[in-house]
Formats: sequence, C-alpha cells, structure tokens
Amino acid sequence: MKAAIGYAATVLRSMWRHAGGRFPLVVLGLWAAISVVSLFWTPQPLMRTDGYHTWQSPSAEHWLGTDGTGADVFSWLMAGSRTDLLIVILTVLVAAALGLLFVAAMVSRHTALAGASVVVVDALISIPTVLIALVLAVPMGASIAVIVIACGFGYGLNLARVARPQALLAAQSDYVESAVSNGASGAYVFFRHIVPNILPVMLVQLSLSAGTAVLAESGLTYLGVGVPSGTPSWGHSLATTVRFITVYPLTVLWPGLVVTVAVVALNLFGDALRDAIDPVTNPELRRAAGATRMEEDGHGR
Amino acid sequence: MAEQPGAHGRTGATSSPTAPASPTNEASTDASLNARVKTPHRRPWAWIAVAAVAVVAVVIGIIAIVNRPATQQAGRRDTVTIGLKLAPTNLDIRNQSGSALDQILIGNVYEGLVARDENNQVVPALAASWEESADGLTYTFHLNEGMSFSNGDELNADDVVWSIQELVGKQYHDASSLTNFGSITAVDPNTVELRLSAPNSNLLWTLAGRCGLVFDQDAEYDMKTEAIGSGPYLVSEFRANDSITLKANPNYWGEHRAATETVVVRYFTDDNAAVNALASGDVQVLAPISENLAGQFADDPDHYTVQAGDGTDKYVLAFNGAGEHTSDPRIRQAIRYAIDHEELIASRGGADAPLGGPIPSLDPGYEDLTDLYPHDVDKALELMAEAGYGPDNPLTLRLEYSNTYGTDLGDQLRSQLAQIGIDLQVEVVEFSTWLQDVYTNKDYDLSLVDHNESHDFYQWADPEYYYNYDNPEVQSLYAQALAATDDAARDDLLRQAARMVSEDAPADWLFNYRITTAWVNGVEGFPVNLNQTQLPLWNLAYESE
Repeated sequence: MKAAIGYAATVLRSMWRHAGGRFPLVVLGLWAAISVVSLFWTPQPLMRTDGYHTWQSPSAEHWLGTDGTGADVFSWLMAGSRTDLLIVILTVLVAAALGLLFVAAMVSRHTALAGASVVVVDALISIPTVLIALVLAVPMGASIAVIVIACGFGYGLNLARVARPQALLAAQSDYVESAVSNGASGAYVFFRHIVPNILPVMLVQLSLSAGTAVLAESGLTYLGVGVPSGTPSWGHSLATTVRFITVYPLTVLWPGLVVTVAVVALNLFGDALRDAIDPVTNPELRRAAGATRMEEDGHGR
Repeated sequence: MAEQPGAHGRTGATSSPTAPASPTNEASTDASLNARVKTPHRRPWAWIAVAAVAVVAVVIGIIAIVNRPATQQAGRRDTVTIGLKLAPTNLDIRNQSGSALDQILIGNVYEGLVARDENNQVVPALAASWEESADGLTYTFHLNEGMSFSNGDELNADDVVWSIQELVGKQYHDASSLTNFGSITAVDPNTVELRLSAPNSNLLWTLAGRCGLVFDQDAEYDMKTEAIGSGPYLVSEFRANDSITLKANPNYWGEHRAATETVVVRYFTDDNAAVNALASGDVQVLAPISENLAGQFADDPDHYTVQAGDGTDKYVLAFNGAGEHTSDPRIRQAIRYAIDHEELIASRGGADAPLGGPIPSLDPGYEDLTDLYPHDVDKALELMAEAGYGPDNPLTLRLEYSNTYGTDLGDQLRSQLAQIGIDLQVEVVEFSTWLQDVYTNKDYDLSLVDHNESHDFYQWADPEYYYNYDNPEVQSLYAQALAATDDAARDDLLRQAARMVSEDAPADWLFNYRITTAWVNGVEGFPVNLNQTQLPLWNLAYESE
C-alpha cells in the first residue's frame, strides 16, 4: 500500500516537472474540483430562466453573460463539467473493458477465434461512432448512456486495433511461452504479461478517447441524441448558443474554449502519463525502484 | 548477436518477431537509459501552440464574417434572389405534402379558382366572380376570358372541372379538406357550377389552396420536376432541397404579370448561412429570419428593412385531456396561469403576438382572449394546492416536442412551471417520434407544436384528435359554423366556440408566431403576411440606388 502511494507520488512528481504534464494536471484538477462544487453551489440557480435578460454581456451578476433563455452561462458551464466528467470516466471504463476483451480474443491461442475476431474488429471499426449513437437513440432517446455506449464501443475497437501488435509480440515472447509450459492459465498470462506490455499504448489511446468523448458529447448533443434537455453539459451550452454565433459570438466562445482546453488537457495527460510510468523515459522511477529494491534487499551499493 | 527466439510465429501475426539488434548484453545503466530517453517536452508545446493558433483563427473568422460589408450595385435588377427556409423535395403539388410547395407554386406557377390576399381573405383569381345560392349548396364561378397555360393551351371550364374531379377521384393531397363536395360541372366554357351535399362555409377559402388549383389536362410532363400552370412564372430550373429558378411566363394571360424577369429562390436550412447570404448580398430577401438574428439588419436601416408579418402560426402547448394528471382541469388552468407569455415573447425578440385562444387574428372568429388566463402565479399555486400539489410536493409532468423548435422553449417552460410545483421533464425528440408518440398514440402529458395551418378550428371539434378534447357544445357550434351561409353568423359561432375552448384550458397558446422578413432596401412587393404558406411574387421588384 505504502509502495503504491509512493509510486503514484513519484509518477505525479515527474509529470509535474514538465509543462506538458503540469498543464493537464492543473486542468483536470480544476475540472474535478468545479464538478464537486457545482453539486452544492453555482453563482445563479441553474434552472432559472429570464426572458427579459437574454444574451447579456458578462457582468457582476452573470460572469459570462446569459444565453437565449436568460440562463447564466457560467453556472451552466460549471454544472456541465460534472456531466462531462461522468461521461469521460464511463466512456474510458467501457472502452478499456471492451478493448481488453477484443485484445484478448485477437491474441488468443485458439487460432480460429483470433482470426475471426481480427476480421470482426476490422469490420466493426468501419462503423462511425455517430451512426452508432443515432441508431441507439431510436430506442433510448437522448441520454448519457447513448454517448457512453457509442463512444465506448468505437474507442474500444480502436484501442484493440492499436494495441494488438504489441500484445502479439508479448504473446509470442519466450516468457509467455515458458509461463504457458509451466501450466499458467490464459487469464493469468493475459493479465500478468500481456496487459503490462500494452499499458503505455492503452494509456495514450484512452486519453485520446477521453478527449474525443468530450467532443463527441458536444457533437451528439448538438444533433439531439446526446445529453437530454435540462441536463447541463458543455455540449448543451454550445448547441443552444451556436445558432446565434454571428450575433453573439462571445456567448459561444466560452463553452467552445472550455471544450478546447479540456480536450487538449486530456490528450496531453495520456502522453505525460505514459512518459512518467515508463522506466525507459523516466529516470526518477528507476531511482525510486532502485531505492525500494535496496530497502528490500537490505544492502546498498 | 542475440539468438533467434523460438520459432512459433502464430497465425495472424502482423510480423514475425525478429530479434532487435541489441547493442549490448550487459545490464543497462542509468546513463545508457538516459541516453535513450525520449524528449517529451516538445510535442505538448506544439499542441498548445496549434490550439492557440486555431482559437485565434476562429475568433478572427467570426469577426470577419460579422463585419463583412454588404455589396451594392446601382440600377434596376432583372434578377432577384430570395432566401427561404423549407425546401420542397419535388414539385408534385398534387401528391407531395408540405407547405414549401404551396408557398412557391401557388399563385406563381399554378393558379386556383380563387386566391387569398395578404389578410387571408378570398379574392378572385381564375374566377373573376362567383355567386353562392341562398341554401349555401351551389356555387357558380364565372371564369376570366382568354386564359391560357404557359404552354399555350387554352384554360377554360373543362380544365377546372377536370382538375377538381381528378383531385376528388384520385384523392390527391388535401382532397379531404373539400368537405361535403357533391359535384362539379361546366355550364359553358366560362362558367363552372360546384354543388355541395351540405353547406361548407370554408369552401372558398379551401379552394384558394391546393384544392382549387387548375392543371392542364392535355399537357404531359413529369410533375415531380416540372410544373406547367397558368401563373405569371415558369419553373425554369429545379434543384431538390436547394433552389428553384422562376422565369416570367411570356404567355401570361392576366394582370399579375411578373415585374421581375427572373426570381431565384434559394433554400437555407442553416440560419447563420442564410443571414450571411443576406449580409453579403447573395440574396436580397430573407424570410423567415429569426428575430434574434435580424437585429444586425434592423440596426442598419440605411441598407435593410426588417418587418414582422401576421401569420396563423399557433404555438400550442397541448395538455392531454385523457392524461392521468392533465385530465384534472385545475392542473390545466394552473399551468395556463403560471406561464408568462410576455416573457417568452420577449426572449424571442419581441415580434410575436400573445394569443389567448385557438383562433389567430387572421382567421374568422378571432377575438382577443388573453384576459381569460392572465399571468398569475398566486392563482396557479392555489389551483395546484387544491389538486394536491405544490412546490414542496411537486407534480412530475412530461413535455414532448420536436427538435425543430429548439430546446429554449422547453427550458423556459420548465423554469416557469417549477415555480408552481410542477417538475417538467422535457423530451426533445425527432419530429417523426413526436408524430408517433403524441399525434398517433396520444401517449403524452404535455406536447408543444406549431400549428401553422389557417382555418384549423376543426381540431377542437374532433374528439379523436390528439388533444383528447371532447366538448359536445364546441362540436355543435363548429358544425353550425360550417353550415352557416352568412359569414357574419359563421364568425360569431366560431367566436363563441373559441372562447369555450379557451375557458376549458385543453391547451395553452404560448404565442402567435409572426414571421420576420428582412430585405435589402430597394426591394418592393414582397409579401410579409402569411409568406410561409403562400408567396405570390409577381409584384416583386428590386431597384438598387
């Protein structure tokens, strides 16, 4: 337990050391904090509209102005961050689970299953995420589940496709061979040997997926199959203001900016995390690992 | 060199694993690892720079678009381009539904026995005059002389009779609104007699729509892509969902000769694209334009004119008369008291008119009923308390409406109804879903739709309609109004019925949507009233300074 905390601290410290890691850490930290705060407090009541004060410029009362219903843009963006955070987390979990499932199938020792799953994944990957979402929206209506399932499915396939070569190399390695000959089960080999090998690729892919999920939320909500009406989200803020971009460009700018910053941060986060957990690129990790080993061994050099 | 790994390349491998040329077999040192460290600093900064440049580019683009000057050239134009919203998918006005076809073809390419003026009153068209028998069962139309179709064929009573018989016989679109139709005969080449089985006070108005259109029975053409009529314009080019080019009909017989040689109609599904087209001079007229977007033109009266026209669009917030909670009149009335119509109208730019009942100002039987349920939150709270609900004990109701109306109205209604203890669940769906759930299955609590038809009071007299509104008195009054042979009597009956409907509160009429039209100064003769249902363009001209 102590070792795990130490490891995490080391990783975070080395991420913090570079601008490319500090930026996503700050943004994601703020994002999480604002999401929590918005559960208890927003500058203006979320659902209050005021038809007499629509499209207001930023003021002391409305920090980022008001939208076409007179609702407070800042409050909606604050509350929207929790919806987007939830979508990102769920999408990443679904994508990771599905991705690992497909990877497992594709590197399976049953050649028929492996061959078939490669063909299936290649075929499925050609279906656009938006199309999946539109089809799902027919029975389900606009809902967060539509976004999570469509994105999780699409990104899981992508993840599997990208991680497969790495997984295959591991699956054909000597240590897997010897583990198998020692009677290790398929699941053991997969989680003990293959997953750690594809972890760096997965992290980058998942962080890209997380960023794309934010974009997808905006796009699908604009199309009316994403977040349902009355649920705050960045996509909702964008969709309701974008019609009047020529008249009130400032109102569209804020949700656009938030989405851009969040997506950039998520993309950088994956890169930074991969660099920080890879002993090849992170000397600090090697030093920490060395120190731990020395403690365990009970003798220094 | 390293040894070859065990040769067990499996099926499906992308490449057979070959050993990497490892420079050394000794244990790695920090120094050697550090030498191979990737430099992760550069790429993130590049990303941030790219993002920053992109944001700046977008902002500059927005400013450039907003400030783009309108181009003006002096002189009388023989081509005027107008921008409309709803595009027809084909030109078959006998079979294809949708008001886009009525809008562009009636009065321009096809003409009816009679027409409607800008105040929704019936005026002569192919028929110069008509008489109605005292029992209201026989209408005699006297046609103009010397009429012809654009292909040169003569237009006489035979064509009128043939067109209406075809309509009824083949049940073309809208044929059902020709209620109580009996027969139609040609008395002589210039006289037509139409008989009804029972009086229909709506007959003339109906004949000014699709039902009264006269087609050339001898012409053979593909009605989906061509149109041969008797009107002042010809369709010279039709691109589905994109544009229609109208050219003046050189063989036009009547007084409504086209003032402009060529009228190009372009369809914009995107409001911003439409506004940009007007600002850049690609189109000279835009109808409709959202009131919020029209601001930039209204602020520039030297170059543009912006005007709202009267229409018959009624935004109807219907309460399911058979719904679990909405069958309780106290809840329906509470909702009507709770809705602040002035605020809704203000948020939309202020052009729309308040509407207190089912009949808008341009329809017969109109009366200002906005006093029946004024905005009164206290009264609404009282009614809700009587029904057993309140802010501490909210009632959950579901509002379902089509995404064509945007999410703003749902958000505003949710906010307004929250004050009286109604937790409004808003579902914004595809129009087809609304048709299925609400219109066909009547499975809803609240529904919102723009009933844009004129003369559509029949909805409230039909207990089968999706409102589930069944008031025998209203039905009887409407039947009497239809049977009335005198317009004043008809209007009075409709007025009584409309008041009765509004008092029962089967729906709330949010507002009477008024179409805003914007045009470049110098454009004359573009109708502003009712221009989304019929748009006669013969008088349209453009002379720029």
